[in-house]
Amino acid sequence: MRVDFVKAVETTLDRDADALFITGDLGFNALEAFVVKFGKRFINAGVAEQNMIGLAAGLALIGMRPWVYSIAPFVSYRCLEQIRNDVCLHRLPVRIVGNGGGYTYGIMGSSHHALEDLAVLKALPNMQLLFPCANDQVAAAVALMSELMGPSYLRLAVSAFNTERTPLSEHPVTLTRSYATRADRSKPGLTVIGAGHAVHVALRALASHGLDRENVDVFGIARFPFLLSEDSELMASVLSTKNVIFIEEHYAAGGMGESLKFALPPLSGFSLMSASYRPDQRYGSAAFHMKQDQLTPDALVSLVQACLRAS
Amino acid sequence: MSEPLKSVARAALAIRRQFLRMHFGARSGHIGSGLSAIDILACLYGTWLRQHDQFILSKGHSASALYATLHHFGMLSDAELSAYYQDDAFLPAHPAPRGLSAISVATGSLGHGLPIAAGMAYGYSNLRATDSRVACLLSDGECNEGSTWEAALFASHHRLINLTVLIDANGIQAFGRTEEVLALEPFAKKWQAFGFEVRECNGHDYDALNAALAAPASDRPRCIIARTVKGKGVSFMENTVDWHYWPMNEAQYQQAISELDQCERELPA
Repeated sequence: MRVDFVKAVETTLDRDADALFITGDLGFNALEAFVVKFGKRFINAGVAEQNMIGLAAGLALIGMRPWVYSIAPFVSYRCLEQIRNDVCLHRLPVRIVGNGGGYTYGIMGSSHHALEDLAVLKALPNMQLLFPCANDQVAAAVALMSELMGPSYLRLAVSAFNTERTPLSEHPVTLTRSYATRADRSKPGLTVIGAGHAVHVALRALASHGLDRENVDVFGIARFPFLLSEDSELMASVLSTKNVIFIEEHYAAGGMGESLKFALPPLSGFSLMSASYRPDQRYGSAAFHMKQDQLTPDALVSLVQACLRAS
Repeated sequence: MSEPLKSVARAALAIRRQFLRMHFGARSGHIGSGLSAIDILACLYGTWLRQHDQFILSKGHSASALYATLHHFGMLSDAELSAYYQDDAFLPAHPAPRGLSAISVATGSLGHGLPIAAGMAYGYSNLRATDSRVACLLSDGECNEGSTWEAALFASHHRLINLTVLIDANGIQAFGRTEEVLALEPFAKKWQAFGFEVRECNGHDYDALNAALAAPASDRPRCIIARTVKGKGVSFMENTVDWHYWPMNEAQYQQAISELDQCERELPA
């Protein structure tokens, strides 16, 4: 997603002379061209995230629109109070970008995983969260953020995503994508919803694990606060199946699933597949962590079949 | 003392009166650290800040001193000031976000002001065609915060000569004396080592403060360490930790005001 992001944000900086880019010393082999092209509109703030967010707030207070980039855990936890006090409470157009959401930094270890970023940021006033489902949605998310006059956070995933699948539709405002629809609406069905890039678990299941043979609608959501009154396709599915499986690469506590369950009318079923910390936690690649947490296409298909059998 | 500085001295006295009236009326604390900052605020607003400059009160617990200063210089109305410490208003103990046009930044958690000030100073000097300056007032205890030093590194690296850091160095923080809690000395050398041009002065001496503020810009950001007395101007409040917290009772308020009356009689004509 980083390549797509760099390309999209470059377009934004080209169009908006008051936009600028701040990095927390990250972006090797990706941002070098910005140094020359944007001159003083490119700042490497060094390894100093608290100052980086404060700087961005100061710049925004005098009319600039800064993009602030680091890896997801560094740009959301260390400087949380700066994001809260200096950016959100002042409702400033500071666009925070966290690369490596979820487990996508894999073998780099727990310091580099971001499994609570959406939880801590979604509670902040005026904050908008964007978490693209796929590489080809990053540009739309960046374009949307560049129009916002308040704070926002973009959660990127470090992955090539070789399971890219053309969505059947994408809502222009909510960015919600439909990836598959039920074959038979007269039979019990299920609504499978992935938060951001976690939808790839479902896409892989559709491609090669038999999910396409089940009676499911598959959606990817990419924005919080939800705009469910706009999301007519998603809501039609949920109101029809009354049974949801939600997948997120994030802890359950404070995650998007928890918020969505609260926002939806009462359903007959709402199952959550999320990341979890365990007493015997082991470390490895992103794929290892997904497997350790049962965030796999096989686990999804089994859950879908169990839910359908029970309904 | 020059005529403008006599005017600053009179302003500082009036601000102290207003400040004490506000705290007595509201039964509010944080008196000592407000009194230590008032002479600095009076100098800044009386002689140095221009319409297009920015001031950030990083030591947000001195908000009431800033409210009284802004009121004295006509930037806060009587009606606005009367809402100090009241419900349903914009003047809490620490500055509110998006509350008053005269206060652009809400503070209260320490270590936030200097990064914001550095961002403004960077923007003014590199991205906007303006000679706007930025002043940021810190407490000495606030220099315990790592974010303050992160911002100092940044300001120095980018040679933000339009940035002036002022430190209300009253030597006392929330639970004790600064040197006993987390020693800062040699304080000036620390700021020098971070690349600042440092001046130290008596933070209650208007000539010295004004000279430090008026010194020509160099090629570095500057830091003015204003050595102050916590509770300055009210004898029984001076140099004590207690008056970081206590509100005044009637007798204490009357004594404080009588000391200011004495001060006024001693002002140079």
